[in-house]
Amino acid sequence: MLKLEGVSKSFGGVAATRDVSLAFADGSFSAVIGPNGAGKTTLFNLITGRFAPDAGRILLAGVDIAGLDRREIVRRGIGRAFQVASLFPTLTVEEALAAAVQAHQRRETVKLQSFPLAAAVSRAGEIMEMLKLTRVAGILSRNLSHGDQKLLDIGLALALDPKVLLLDEPTAGMGPEERWQMIETVQALWRAVHMTLIFIEHDMDIVFKVAQTVRVLSYGTVLAEGTPDEIRRDPSVIEAYLGKSAAA
Amino acid sequence: MTRRWRDLGLAGLGLIVLLLVPMLGAPPAIRDFIMFAMAYGLLAMSLNLLIGYTGLVSFGHAMFFASGAYAFGLAMQSGKFSIPAAFALAIAFTAVLALVIGAICVRLNEIYFAFLTLAFQMLIYNVILGWVSFTGGDQGLMGGIPRPKFLGIDLADRTQLYVFCSVLFVVCIAIMRQIVTSPFGYTLRLIRDNQERAAFLGIDVARAKLVCFVISACMASVGGILLALFVSGAYPNFGFWTTSGEAIFMILLGGSTVFLGPIVGTVILRILTDVTIAYTSHTELVLGIVILILVLGLRKGPLDVIAERLENRRQAKAQKVRDAADDASGKKP
Amino acid sequence: MDLEALMRCLGTGSCVVTQLTSGMIIGMLLFLIASGVTLIFGVLNVTNFAHGSLYMAGAYIALTLYQASGNYFIAAVGAAVAVGLLGVAFERLLMSKVYGSNVLMQLLVCYAVILISDDLVKIIWGPSGLSMGMPAEFRLPPLRFMGGVIPPFYLFMIAAAMVIGLALWLVIERTRFGKIVRAAAVNGPMVSALGIRVNLYYAAVFGIGSALAGAAGALAAPVRSLTPGMGFSILIESFIVTVIGGMGSIVGAFVAALLIGFTRSFGSIGFPLFVDGMMFLFMALVLIFKPSGLFGRPHR
Repeated sequence: MLKLEGVSKSFGGVAATRDVSLAFADGSFSAVIGPNGAGKTTLFNLITGRFAPDAGRILLAGVDIAGLDRREIVRRGIGRAFQVASLFPTLTVEEALAAAVQAHQRRETVKLQSFPLAAAVSRAGEIMEMLKLTRVAGILSRNLSHGDQKLLDIGLALALDPKVLLLDEPTAGMGPEERWQMIETVQALWRAVHMTLIFIEHDMDIVFKVAQTVRVLSYGTVLAEGTPDEIRRDPSVIEAYLGKSAAA
Repeated sequence: MTRRWRDLGLAGLGLIVLLLVPMLGAPPAIRDFIMFAMAYGLLAMSLNLLIGYTGLVSFGHAMFFASGAYAFGLAMQSGKFSIPAAFALAIAFTAVLALVIGAICVRLNEIYFAFLTLAFQMLIYNVILGWVSFTGGDQGLMGGIPRPKFLGIDLADRTQLYVFCSVLFVVCIAIMRQIVTSPFGYTLRLIRDNQERAAFLGIDVARAKLVCFVISACMASVGGILLALFVSGAYPNFGFWTTSGEAIFMILLGGSTVFLGPIVGTVILRILTDVTIAYTSHTELVLGIVILILVLGLRKGPLDVIAERLENRRQAKAQKVRDAADDASGKKP
Repeated sequence: MDLEALMRCLGTGSCVVTQLTSGMIIGMLLFLIASGVTLIFGVLNVTNFAHGSLYMAGAYIALTLYQASGNYFIAAVGAAVAVGLLGVAFERLLMSKVYGSNVLMQLLVCYAVILISDDLVKIIWGPSGLSMGMPAEFRLPPLRFMGGVIPPFYLFMIAAAMVIGLALWLVIERTRFGKIVRAAAVNGPMVSALGIRVNLYYAAVFGIGSALAGAAGALAAPVRSLTPGMGFSILIESFIVTVIGGMGSIVGAFVAALLIGFTRSFGSIGFPLFVDGMMFLFMALVLIFKPSGLFGRPHR
């Protein structure tokens, strides 16, 4: 579904991404891991069109989307949630989701009817159900707890009916119990909706328990990829995280 | 749907209240005050579409106030147009002007946008001042504005003029209300709150901003036309930067987060100015100090403060709903 | 549009000299003001819309000091210093309170200051226009050059502005103070974390920027009429200069200021009604093709 071929990107002399080639199967649930500075978020930025790659192709269902305008990439089905939840502070949860859905339904310029449109409300309601946000429907986005904010962030991406959903550290900033709740919600989401889900994560327990495949990035290149078991035993991965002495 | 009817009902009520004023024998001074407030109120309300709802701080909005007044005045002086035709012409002219200026400005960041709208406004102001043969220069449009009858309405009659302006005013407010409560209105709020994310939702941010800019300019031009009718002329200071500054100040005084806030601000400012003039000629000094107190002290208009309290109460209720649901499902807070 | 007149002028030595010098003094004044604006914006990320009021203060204070002391140089330096101090006070008491806020709040604070200062000027110096006249030190016979006439004061203005500009550039680029200021522009909190009192540097930068405007006002006083509204018209032009030159670039301000200065002087002969339009055209072109300005850093 999503394939990167030889993708590279430098920022003023610093090579953030170097000749990365990855393939994500349709409907798969994969994790991207790696030490800090490995280029994971940059990868997401390249896929979503925030920057254009210096070289390489990014194929979505066989079509190269590298360098396309961000809005076009979104329209083609790439959705993203952010490391730090990027929300609309003055809108309530249902307003924000309804507004996101209405944009996806291309009705965001309608001036002669009242907001929210019925079609948008029902879809927003579905999303809230899936993410267990119905209980906070009337709460302003800025008043949400950290965990709910992250969930709303995902919800805003879901509103676009993405074929590929990128989650940038969905459990960041959460305590151990909340983390498992979050990843379970994400997993349930993935089972309910057919999409290719890719998430960046630092908690290894979660990654190894939940992901189907794992890709490891280090210094902008792909260090290893495989099933959780294969990765767990891969010496280069251990070295990247813990240093030479641990790998020995 | 019920909210629509409620809003329309309130608009109708407002119109009735406005119309009752002359009928109940209020002195002409009150009527004049209201006319001024309606014209400047439209300027402030239209500017708030940009500032309060879209997050676009324009410091040159008065240019559209002036373009409406001058276009209407010149059209009427030419003798070739009826009042409704001149009206439409002035609005159309302003729309085209706003389209051109907006297309250049909306893609810029906050500070450049504010500054560039200011710069364009001063350009237009200088054109008005300089083109003496056409606009009368700093004397303004001379010779008054002819008011031929149309559809049996005679705007030379003060009362009929008042009614006409009141109706136009309420209609414009109703239109703005519709826009603000429509899906488009919420798209604007998305842009205001988080432009990056709005773009990530597939929204054409520049286009939405441009559309809002043009609509807002047209509303401001109606205000300019009302003022031109009222004073039977058009003057360069309609488009001077201080008029834009006053409009921003009106929004601050009344509150930018409440729909009718700017109108309240308009009224407060006029009263403040009238009271100040009675005691001292140094209105600018007093106004400047008031602005500083508001900006450094409250940081928002009084209506904003009230609206915030109401919102907090609503939020408390919503939070109770959430807490109840969490307790029921065993979630730890 | 009178292009023939322009061509005729370009053919005569005297006309060229006159327009060149007049263009240069307009440019130099704009440069001083614009470099203040660009400095303040580059370091503090705040647009000082009240900058024109500082220019006005410089002119009026210079007038009063000259009338009191009879010495123009004392008046000019005194005015620049006084305005610099005013700027520091403005920054500490008012602007610093709205650094983090959105543009609207900053705009309103500046708007309030413009209102207050315009009225204070009216109260202290009266509402009608004042004139300083040529200071005694410069009542010298004009210099002749290529058939044209140059008042000696004009040469002084140009020289003074260039010297100040050069000094400014040297301070920013070559001194420790300048280095800290440039670092604070890129990452204020980091500089603060290194133990440096960033707030003092911010105040100093604002003070220098203000002093530049004050100096411009003092230099302009002998050749312009002093009115309470004089700050605003030059503000717009200096902003155009800053946009064309690039926010944060002193070199850019210099080049753009000269461009505008010459446009004004030669333009007033060739196309008097379109001079304003030309300036806007330049600015629009820059914004379309290189939005960060001719010499500006590509922006966030």
